[in-house]
Parts: sequence; C-alpha cells; structure tokens
Amino acid sequence: MKSLRLLCALLLVAVSAARAAEALNLFAWSEYVPQKVIDGFTKETGIKVSYATYATGEEMLAKLLAGGAAYDLIQPPDYIAEAMIRNKLLRPLDRAKLPNLRHLAPEFLALPHDPASAYTVPWMLGTVGIVVNTERVKDPIRGYRDLFQPKFKNRIVVVNDNREIVSWALVTLGLNQNAITRENLAKARPLIAEWIKLVKVFDSDSPTTPLLNGDVDLGVVWSGEAAKLINENKKFAYVLPAEGYHPYVDLMAIPTTAKNVAAAHRFLDYVLRPEVSKLISDEFPYTNPNLAARKLLTPAQLANPASYPPMGKLDTFRDIGKAAADIDKLMTDLKTAAAK
Amino acid sequence: MTIPVQPTQGSAQLPRPARWFLLAPLAVWLVAFVVAPALILLVYSFSERDELGRVVFTFTLENYARAFDPVYLSVFGRSLGYAAATTAICAVLAYPVAWCMAQARPPWRDRLLLLVMIPFWTSFLIRTYAWITILKSEGLLNGLLLYTHTIAAPLELLYTPGAVVLGLVYAYLPFMILPIYGSAEKLDPALIEAAHDLGCGPWQSFARVVLPLTRPGLAAGVMMVFVPAIGMFAISDLMGGARVPLIGNVIQDQFVGQARDKPFGAALAVIFMLIFVTVYWLWQRRAEARVA
Repeated sequence: MKSLRLLCALLLVAVSAARAAEALNLFAWSEYVPQKVIDGFTKETGIKVSYATYATGEEMLAKLLAGGAAYDLIQPPDYIAEAMIRNKLLRPLDRAKLPNLRHLAPEFLALPHDPASAYTVPWMLGTVGIVVNTERVKDPIRGYRDLFQPKFKNRIVVVNDNREIVSWALVTLGLNQNAITRENLAKARPLIAEWIKLVKVFDSDSPTTPLLNGDVDLGVVWSGEAAKLINENKKFAYVLPAEGYHPYVDLMAIPTTAKNVAAAHRFLDYVLRPEVSKLISDEFPYTNPNLAARKLLTPAQLANPASYPPMGKLDTFRDIGKAAADIDKLMTDLKTAAAK
Repeated sequence: MTIPVQPTQGSAQLPRPARWFLLAPLAVWLVAFVVAPALILLVYSFSERDELGRVVFTFTLENYARAFDPVYLSVFGRSLGYAAATTAICAVLAYPVAWCMAQARPPWRDRLLLLVMIPFWTSFLIRTYAWITILKSEGLLNGLLLYTHTIAAPLELLYTPGAVVLGLVYAYLPFMILPIYGSAEKLDPALIEAAHDLGCGPWQSFARVVLPLTRPGLAAGVMMVFVPAIGMFAISDLMGGARVPLIGNVIQDQFVGQARDKPFGAALAVIFMLIFVTVYWLWQRRAEARVA
C-alpha cells in the first residue's frame, strides 16, 4: 500500500515536470553568455535553458546543418547570418514580442547582413585592433605597418583567423576587405608572407594569454579580450589600425528548425532589458549596442578604449561563400613556408 | 588469420551462437563507430559542397587532385616528421623505463605501473596547459634557470617546434612504455643467463636476445604512438602557437573551421587512412614472412 502511494506520488511529479518542461536550447559562443543571465531567466520564467557552445561561427553552422539537436536560439556572427538568411535558415522575428528592442542604438540595426533587421538582434559588437604592452614597446604603434616590423619578430600574437589576417593585408593595400578574389589574394600574398614570419603565436580562443604571460608584447586581438587585458593592467593600450579596421556584430537569431519559438522570443526580450544587458557587459566588455544598458555602466567601463572606441562607418564582413577555401589554402601555404 | 577450431576440446569450447553473442558488442561498436564513419568519409570525399559547406552528393575527383597540391604534400611531410621524431624519442625514453619496471620486484612493479597511469586521471588539455605554465617566458622553468644564474635572459621555449615535440612525447610516452613493459615482463631471465653463459657480453645479449624478444611490444608501442601523433592538432595549436599547420589542423579546419570544405577534409582523411592500412599490411606481411 505504501509503495503504491509512493508510485502515485512519483507519477504526479513526473507529470508536472513534463508540463513545466518548457525548455530553450541555446547554442552560443563559449564565454559569451553569463551564467547569471541564464539563471535569472530560468528563475523568472521557469524555462529551463540548455546551453551548448561553439568556438567558431563555421562550427555552429556545420552543427546546425547536420541536424540532430534542434537549437532554438543561436548567436551567428554577421557574415554567417547573411548566408543563413539568404538560404532561408533563419526565422523572421516577431517584433511585437520584443518590446525591449527600443533600447538598441539605431546605428547597429539594419546593417548589410540583415538590411531590414527582420531576422537578427545584435548581441554585442567588437572590433579587431592592436594591443601594445607600453612598458616594453616604446615606439608609436598606429597601425599594421607600425606593428609588422622586423624588429618585433617573435613578439606578436594574432588571432588564429585566416580571414581576419587576409582582411588586414587587404585594407593595408587599400583594397576592399570583402573583395576576396584570386587576384586580390595574389596581391596580398607577399605582404602576408612577410607578416606571418614575425608572428610568434596564432590564437583565437585566448589571444591575450601570451600577452599576459609576457611571451609577446604586441597583438592583434578581439576588442573584448583587449578590454579585459586593460582592466587587468593599465600598461596595455588598444589602437584601432590607421589603415582601416572593421567592426563585427554577434547576433541572436532563431533558426527555422527551432521548436521553442515562444521561449526563444522571451529569452531575446529578457537579454535586451537594460539591467540584464548590463550583466553581460560586466562580464564580457565588448561594445554593448543597448543604449539603456550603457547608462547603467560605470564611467570606468565606458572609458575603456577597447570597449567603446570611436567607431566610424560600420563596414562589417560579408559572406564570401566558397572563396573561404582559397583563403584557407593561401594561409596554409604561407604558414608552412614561414616555418621552414 | 583463421584459427583452426578443434572440436576435440569439447567442454572448453563455447557453442558457436554463444561466441557470436559475446563478440556482438565489439562488432556493433566497430561497425557503428569505425566502419560507418569511414564509409561516410569515403562518400563525402567524392562529393562537392555548397556555399554554406553542405555536402552535395555528386562524383568528382577534384578533392583528391587538390590533396596532391604541393601545399598539402609539404604539410603532410612535416606531420610525418613530427610524428617520427616523437616516436623515436618515446622509444628511446620508454625502453629503459619499461625494462626497469619489468625487472623490479612485484610490489614495486605494481606501484611503478600505477605511476605511469596516474597522468591519465587528469584531462589531457589541463596537462598541456600545465606545460604552458612551465615553459612560458615568465614561467617556472625560466624562473628556476634565472634564479640559479644558469642563464642570463629567459629562453624562448614555448611556441617553438621543440615545444610541440615535447608536448607530443609527453602525451604519448605511456603508450610506448606499457606495451614494451608487457613484452619485457614475460621475458624469461634464464634466457639472458644462458646468453651470458654462452659468452655474450651485456651489449650482445641485449641486441641478440632481449631486443628480438621484446620486439612485438616495441612494434605495438610504435604503432600506438605514431598513428595518433600524426593526427594530433591540439598540441600544435596550444604549445606551438598554431604557427606550423599539421595535417590534423588542416583537416579540422575543413570540417569546423573557416574553410567550410568537408569533402576536401574527407579526401585528406581517406588518403591518410589508406597510407596507414597499406603500411600496416606490408608490415604484417613481412612479419608473417619472417615467422614462416
């Protein structure tokens, strides 16, 4: 009799758990969504969030296209979102469910990857710029030409991102960073070959580690990483390259295969609340597109030159499709040659 | 390689269905996680891709043609070089260790064996990060050398080819020690005494008795180190600073990296597997010829 009662109780628990099991499958960059934000959302809504991560936008795309897990909310970088929209892989957002969209600065909306802002919401922005350890490097470093000099050989770290490196060479030569043609790659080749010989470390995951460890004195890194470095030690300075630079926008979007569309909208609107968005900035000091959230930041946070550099025209990366393979081959070739 | 079944053994022999039943988990595992993925790779390697990197099933040899581009051949050659150096260093370091372990008295033998296994209790990545702490410019090793005035300025240790080989040797050394130990432990000491009695010096008895008898363990160790070492990509990224692309890095980049070219990555992987199968097959044939 006792066991029967226990069984009934267990059944009841199981049934109520199934009913409450509204869930959200979040697929996002590693080190980008604070646990506090996820916990706060679950506490308020009862929606359980499972958080899977990836290290590159391409990895996200490959896993999403492979099927299997139905992700409800993803964080594509701008140029991948562009390709996904074109291939009808993203679902139009229901803007009526996102009243907090009004907090976003208009200049970060309607960019070329999503001209009507119909599919994506900006999460954070960043730039790629130069970090200088001013205690060890006394020369003025204004751009790529100042940085990639033979005297700095083996004192440089750069992100291990072939497209980035190629884009720096293109802007240095006065070419369009998005014009990835075989002709332009041939023009950039000698410059990149010279640069690669000077680099000591290629690291995208934690490019600031060798700077902090003292293994290198200069770097070309993501602005959020640079901002953390500056928060840690004021001897580091952040410079936007004089030759040209590009901002990147990490977005939030709902794939067409999403199962919990309502939960995804609720999460989106939740992270757009100024007080929640502030928590993200506290942990990951990228450029926050949420103006109301910026008002909640400390003057020191806003004064960090890597988090809030003076941004001009927002010339972001565009999708280059199959030309990515040409970049890959060029860089493999040059890295192999440099190692000889 | 068929083993003759002797029906006279009677009760010691399991009935055929039972044998199949016991083998089934292994067979299922092999088919699901080795044969099927290899077939998928094979199909991919003859396919094309669309702009998002989705595989488009057609028939093309273009991926194989690209794989023989000098760019990728030199990456492949370099990977072979790193793996060969790693295997050679592992063999030289592991042999004396395995031999001493086999000679030790049983309680010590078990303790030494445990010591070889202990590193596996910690994640491989954490152990690799520990090496970064040791080798970095302001790291433990440079600190010690500077403190003892052995050197005047910090040495460049991390992010060099030497660091990559060190990381590889460190990661795979136990895989060399254990099989050699397995062979050395079974070696009958009476055989060495016999060699001494018959006038062999220490070197001769090693070269003519010990080495031939432990060769199977050494050969297994070489396989277990060389094959994973050639495909490794994490160590060249973390300890080599990703300066030198190895074949594992190139393949990884095709699948989850920016290249978005799974068919090409699959072609590289298939070529890779074919080389191993061929080398292994030739080796087995030689070994069988020697026995016969």
